[in-house]
Amino acid sequence: MTPANNSFDQQHYYALLEELQAIDFVLVELNLYLDTHPTDANAIEQFNQLTQKRWSLANEYEALYGPLQNFGRSYSGFPWQWNEEPWPWQV
Amino acid sequence: MQSQTRVYFPYVGPFDPCPPKRVKTYQVPPELFITFQPANLPQYSPSEALRLGTLWPALFSPYNPAADRAGGLG
Repeated sequence: MTPANNSFDQQHYYALLEELQAIDFVLVELNLYLDTHPTDANAIEQFNQLTQKRWSLANEYEALYGPLQNFGRSYSGFPWQWNEEPWPWQV
Repeated sequence: MQSQTRVYFPYVGPFDPCPPKRVKTYQVPPELFITFQPANLPQYSPSEALRLGTLWPALFSPYNPAADRAGGLG
């Protein structure tokens, strides 16, 4: 479903993006923490759980709104979705 | 929780070219007092962590220079 001109559910769109952003931030924090605490099993387990959750979130987003990344890091629907609106600076 | 802002008083000389700033503030965030971060510290929820800028309440540092400066008669 291609988001033509605001014909898609914006509220859900932004909610998904914000949750993805929050999970990514936590993953950054945990990653930096684990660099200096390589033996912290709980943190590693949390990191792996969040990584899995992040993938499912990203897949859900991409199924609805098109690719998050390009050059083979995301799938595209038909027709080509990468250069469709909204662009990152429009979001 | 002790405020993370400290105050110092710059020297005011008779030949200062500009109006003096009598009180200046600087921040002392928590990481200055934690040599090595212990494991299993309590965490914020993801959305909270994103908003506050850190995953751990122990490391949260409310940086608000305007309020501090006003408070510090800057």
